[in-house]
Amino acid sequence: MRENSQTPERPDEIERWPRARLESWHLERLAEVVAHARANVPFYSARWLQAGFGEGQIESLRDFERIPIVSKQDLIKARESWANSADGPVGFSTRGTSGEPLVLWLDAAEEEIYIRPTMRGFRWAGFRPAMTALLMSPVWHRLAACEAHAVVRLGGNCAFFWGSLGADNMDSFVRTLFSVRPEFVTTTAPFLLAMVRRGAQGGLDLAEAFRSVESVVAVGLPLTPRMREFLAERLGVGDVFERAGTQEGAALDDCRLHAMPHVHEDVCYLEVVDANGAPVAPGRRGRLVVTKLAPAGSVFVRYDTGDIAAFAVDPCKCGCGFRRLKIYGRPESSVMVGERMITAYDVRIGVERDSALLGRNVLLIRDRSAASGVLTVAIEGERSDGAEGVEERLCAELGVERVKILWLGGLRINWGFRQVIDGREIGISNG
Amino acid sequence: MPAAETRLIFDVPNGRLVFQPGALDAWAEHLAWCYELMGVKRGATIAVQDFGGSPLSFLGSALLMPGLVRGVAERLGGRFIGLDASAERVTLTPAVLEQIPVDVLVVRADVAALLAAEIRHKGRSGTGKPPARTVIAFNDEDPPPMRGSGAPWRYLLHVPSSMLMAPQCGTCGYFHLRAGVYRLDGVQVSNLGYQGAPSWRLPQSWTRTPEGCALGLDDSTISPAAWTQAVEQG
Ligand SMILES: [Zn+2]
Repeated sequence: MRENSQTPERPDEIERWPRARLESWHLERLAEVVAHARANVPFYSARWLQAGFGEGQIESLRDFERIPIVSKQDLIKARESWANSADGPVGFSTRGTSGEPLVLWLDAAEEEIYIRPTMRGFRWAGFRPAMTALLMSPVWHRLAACEAHAVVRLGGNCAFFWGSLGADNMDSFVRTLFSVRPEFVTTTAPFLLAMVRRGAQGGLDLAEAFRSVESVVAVGLPLTPRMREFLAERLGVGDVFERAGTQEGAALDDCRLHAMPHVHEDVCYLEVVDANGAPVAPGRRGRLVVTKLAPAGSVFVRYDTGDIAAFAVDPCKCGCGFRRLKIYGRPESSVMVGERMITAYDVRIGVERDSALLGRNVLLIRDRSAASGVLTVAIEGERSDGAEGVEERLCAELGVERVKILWLGGLRINWGFRQVIDGREIGISNG
Repeated sequence: MPAAETRLIFDVPNGRLVFQPGALDAWAEHLAWCYELMGVKRGATIAVQDFGGSPLSFLGSALLMPGLVRGVAERLGGRFIGLDASAERVTLTPAVLEQIPVDVLVVRADVAALLAAEIRHKGRSGTGKPPARTVIAFNDEDPPPMRGSGAPWRYLLHVPSSMLMAPQCGTCGYFHLRAGVYRLDGVQVSNLGYQGAPSWRLPQSWTRTPEGCALGLDDSTISPAAWTQAVEQG
């Protein structure tokens, strides 16, 4: 394990560093990770040699940006030349929303490095000693594995419910809420929405279920500002915080201002790039590329996560110097309408301006009419009074020619994490 | 080290397990013993298709639980991967088996059929590795284990609420109730290592088997009735 001399002495001192100091620290960490990858991961050394980066040294962030970007398929194909038994004792499988899952490994040194930002994020979300946190299973996600450790180091207790995070396990989750009475909860946004829906149907007293809960940390779906407020209000909890990240090493948390999640820049180096791999300016969207700053576990250097993201333009007013970044979605949670990529997040922003539609599930429909500029959106429940307004607003905000809304009424769909479906699945002819 | 008063709470079917962090190691040691009794070799990669709140999952490695000094992976010098037992995750398992050389695949009985169908459907090709040996983790609410062709490599009797883990022995083929951890009185199995765990009653179709086993001379061994066929060795 690397010594603490390379990480700040006091837990969060690094958050206040001037940008230049943080950048030179990043440069040192990146050089260290690149050297580790070159020495220990045949996949990278071969790939870099091929790309003319064989002996390249990292003397500036520009140098680092010359390193070829790699994809999930590259790593799956590389198998043992990328991941091997020395990478760590615990494996995690990504969810495979984009085809095959990727198996990656965590080791003790890497986990130690990632527990610190988890503690920071939980502190931001109001965690205090002696609280009990109802957590997601540690085997479920590499970042979730750090959560129980973080809670215990912050002086708290951990509780786990039986089951998984599908809506069919909601009763089990609620039973644990009632019997443990946690002050702090981490779970997925789709799971919370399913609970709100159950509450609205009269099947669950949400206020009573969440009576003890002060903070909810939501993962798994980018929250729109109105959705976050809606969840806090419906669940009757003090506050809802967005926690984002990827198994491959990106780690982000909302601060108390909720202005956009902060990147935990002490553990990951994130870039947002265009289709050619060139960096895009803050405020503009591009593909999220991750480098883990830990020379341990499965190694990710300039890994294209497939996420669509953008950095914030300004520093946050909370005082933390870490950059902020929003992950908006992935190609699988987006539809190409004509030439424009429309994410489910963007559509929800537009739909939710109609307060009556807050909390409803929204799905983008992938069908042939999208090519000719028609965006089809399916919204759970009955048609609202302001339906025409929603269509017009989406046209204007998203810059598409036409928007067609389908009201799903009582149609039951296994929503889960899905934000886009094929029209045929809900009986829409593909034309 | 976590504070002594820290609690780790796991809601499980029909009960709840509460541990202080220092109590987990004894159970990881027991689960590692179960794997060794089944015939799992040191250095094995073990994949567990069970819920995260199951002891089979959270005892998998020290990295998963605060206060757990050495989990199963550390004790066996191997690796652990938790696969979750949701229907959505089960569909991904064939692809996981393609990517990594899993030696032992532990599956909850209630998703075993679904997983077997997925593996049949998607196949396991190109790795050139032998298929993972399957262990079915079942409890008394599941149908009794089956023998003969199509049977898994081993069974593991697992009743989370009683913190009962009794492996099918790779030598005698019966289920060992480990001496010093469990005590069998008539048809009641009590847990000596977890204060307050409800005792577990042997299902009617199960019997205590008469002969002792060399792998645990003081253990009680139990099995479903008419459980005679020899166990697959190795
Ligand atoms: Zn902030």
